[in-house]
Amino acid sequence: MSDPQTRIRNFCVIAHVDHGKTTLSDRLIELTGTVALRQMREQLLDSMELEREHGVTIKARAVRMAWTGRDGEIYELNLIDTPGHVDFNYEVSRSLAACEGALLLVDASQGIEAQTLANAYLAIEQGLEVIPVINKIDLPSIDLDVVREDLRTTLGFKDEEILLASGKTGQGVPDLLHAIVERVPPPKGDPSAPLRALIFDSHYDTYKGVVAHVRVVDGLLTADDRILPMATQKPSEMLELGVFTPEPRPVARLAAGEVGYAATGLKAVADCRVGDTLTLESRPAESPLPGYRPAKPMVFAGFYPQRSEDYPSLRDALEKLRLNDASLIYEPETSQALGFGFRCGFLGLFHLEIIQQRLEREYDMDLIATSPSVEYRVIAQKGDEIAVDNPAMLPDPGTIVEIREPWMKTTLITPTNYVGPIMDLAQGKRGTLLDMSYVDPTRAMLKYDMPLSEVIVDFYDQLKSRSQGYASLDYEFAEYRAADLVRLDILVASTLVDALSVIVHRDKAQHIGRLLVSKLRGLIPKQMFDVRIQAAIGGKIIASENVSAKRKDVIAKCYGGDITRKKKLLEKQKEGKKRMKMVGSVEIPQEAFLAVLRIKDEP
Amino acid sequence: MEIRRQGERLGRPRVATLYVGGGTPSLLEPPEVARLGTSLHQSFDLRPAEATVEANPATLDRARLESWAAVGITRLSLGAQSMSAAGLRALGRTHQTEDIAPAAAAARSVGFDVNLDLIFGWPGQTAEAWREDLAAAVALGPDHLSCYPLELALEPEEAVANWPGAGWRSVERWRQRTATSQPDDAGIAGLYELAERVLGQHSYRHYEIANWARPGKRCRHNLGYWRNGDWLGVGAGAHSHLEGVRSRDPGVLPAYIAAIERDDERIVDAAADTAVDTAMLALRLDDGLDLVRYGSRFGQDAAARVRTALCSLDGMRLVRWSGERVRLTSRGRLLANEVFVRLLPDDAHVSTSV
Repeated sequence: MSDPQTRIRNFCVIAHVDHGKTTLSDRLIELTGTVALRQMREQLLDSMELEREHGVTIKARAVRMAWTGRDGEIYELNLIDTPGHVDFNYEVSRSLAACEGALLLVDASQGIEAQTLANAYLAIEQGLEVIPVINKIDLPSIDLDVVREDLRTTLGFKDEEILLASGKTGQGVPDLLHAIVERVPPPKGDPSAPLRALIFDSHYDTYKGVVAHVRVVDGLLTADDRILPMATQKPSEMLELGVFTPEPRPVARLAAGEVGYAATGLKAVADCRVGDTLTLESRPAESPLPGYRPAKPMVFAGFYPQRSEDYPSLRDALEKLRLNDASLIYEPETSQALGFGFRCGFLGLFHLEIIQQRLEREYDMDLIATSPSVEYRVIAQKGDEIAVDNPAMLPDPGTIVEIREPWMKTTLITPTNYVGPIMDLAQGKRGTLLDMSYVDPTRAMLKYDMPLSEVIVDFYDQLKSRSQGYASLDYEFAEYRAADLVRLDILVASTLVDALSVIVHRDKAQHIGRLLVSKLRGLIPKQMFDVRIQAAIGGKIIASENVSAKRKDVIAKCYGGDITRKKKLLEKQKEGKKRMKMVGSVEIPQEAFLAVLRIKDEP
Repeated sequence: MEIRRQGERLGRPRVATLYVGGGTPSLLEPPEVARLGTSLHQSFDLRPAEATVEANPATLDRARLESWAAVGITRLSLGAQSMSAAGLRALGRTHQTEDIAPAAAAARSVGFDVNLDLIFGWPGQTAEAWREDLAAAVALGPDHLSCYPLELALEPEEAVANWPGAGWRSVERWRQRTATSQPDDAGIAGLYELAERVLGQHSYRHYEIANWARPGKRCRHNLGYWRNGDWLGVGAGAHSHLEGVRSRDPGVLPAYIAAIERDDERIVDAAADTAVDTAMLALRLDDGLDLVRYGSRFGQDAAARVRTALCSLDGMRLVRWSGERVRLTSRGRLLANEVFVRLLPDDAHVSTSV
């Protein structure tokens, strides 16, 4: 009998959001008979409600399928799903590392997008066999030649390598499965070496603890083994070993080259991190698989409960989310204006939005989220370097030698007629144009260096609106660079409102200061005295507005039935007061915080 | 029917004051007035020290006034609203300025005391126009004046359903249009302060937030409301306050008639809080609130709560203390809601949904 590894093919599907990855994956599963037709739920691999709404996959899953090749042999195909968003690049890279091949899916009507390219390059760098597939060929009025040209120009594919398919109708899918068998190389691990299994995903299960999705690279993993994640060094007794078909099915062993899951019994995914290597406690490997790095948050925001009594519920909710999301970090934080809350760190803005929405929907929290911030590196006069992810924590400007901020390598692909507006946008965001080229005659690729702080504030929405939705974006961290940054403070009646401080480029401070102050003027109700609203940089006032004192608030007519009717108005007024936050002696409605924090950086 | 039934139920009580108002009772024909009078006298021991009827200046004539005098009315409250044609137009009133003086004179001739209702803060009204309005009103020598700022933002009431056809909608449109061109709150506050000065100069006592009177001419009936006394109200939407319980009749006419025919119980206002209401109402009056008496009526805890709430206003110039008596300042009258809100208990019966 030949080596069983020769009949295994591990592959993933990489695609831009909405290019039909999930539908095609469903079709593969259906066609290989892995799931009976009647059991097919639409979009099998996406399981969370939010994923459906965003149309992207957050948690990778792996499915084992059987397929009879043209040579008559039965092959074991493992489809490893990859997250589809730029915030999850690291997770994508770990999923790719578990594969030998990748289907590169391009929408026939859209062509190559920024993210398709980024993921394709990642796959090629990791030595994967990439099979280009033009998907959605059932759509009317598509020009396959243009998409072929995209693939030729940007990634150097030859026309004969390119497959055509429709996830929707199933057309071309059998050829795709044959191509996987024939073009993707089998795994090449050492079956007799000590166990090394790559954790490419993990999730928390109430009954089984942390379930690690693993690709066994070397050695053998059996159901009775005591396992050891090499980075966290937390050994555990496995509760179950299995494969997804796509329902979980227990197996006795996973050999080199195979993909499956290990229910570790560990209590939090942080104990069993994506990218880490599982080995055996009894016979540990000498070195882990390359490429592991702990998740690094890039975007930060304060989350505060709207009602202070909800603070414990918010803490519990964050704890539960963290069980399943090792990249979410948080720590308690206090704001004079907003009370007790948490400083949270996220992989990116999209990750932030997902967590915020989950807290609001699944945990029914009413939140105030402060403006997203990046992590600044502050070089103090004493020479030490301080990381600051909360503008309110920025040291006294007098003690600062230099502030550095993270810059991103940004790739934008857009139809050529939107190049002008997009360049204006990027310039307004302090972007530096590095390169411009053409993907095909109708679409351009722009490469910019841009500060992350600019990317996370309204850049994506603006990009979409200026290109009518056609432009796509990808970015990765480049480096920290020094910049002329200042902290812009907001004072209400001479009291600093810490939750509204932002770190901005000096050139933009005046504009943003005026915007914040005038917005607040419209949102702070009249008080019993004049209230001055100011924007300041290091004590210097750069913008100021006044809310004049309330002069009249009286129910003048009060006879008989008015006593009952008008008391209701007073009770409403009192309830309104209760929901205000006191800043010094000024009552500020929560809506004011919410609205100001939502302010867009209009150029 | 309601008058008779309530009279029986309450054992034909002694009635100290009477007020016929809401809508335009001056539209009643003399025989109708007589029937109302008979019905009231049969059901109640009616020897009022003061009995007021509300009137629209355009609807009065001598015969009507005499019919009211015959049933015991002593006082006429005239809905003048403005003494200027521009004001009446801006307020959408149908009577004419020329109607007002004769109506007041006719009331005098049958021996009635006279109150004038004035509204200020209408679109385009200047301080000068308001001063002229006040002067013209004072020139008629009323015993009593009520001055209200034009309020356009109040929530629609139950009585909306009683407006014929699309009446309420056109009123709403008028309200919205007018609200945009009304003087702002600071402007209205200025007009109010002007009224305080002008009426004070003419020896009218500013005895309640919106009411001024010559000596001995305060409205006893309304003082009953502000002293949180007992009263019975009859008619659609009429409220009552009897033995500490606030209740009301249905406000929509057909529902009201059906309720009376079925002899339904009145709708009780469970949220009423006698101690809190008493304090808020007392502060409306220039006599203010005497915490010693308040404490002996509602207990020392209640008095302490009121004191704490009012002391939280220190430095805001809203209230003035003289010993244990507390009064609204002139500024406090204009910002009375800020004071009243603090008197409400913390567990107010309102929804806490966000």
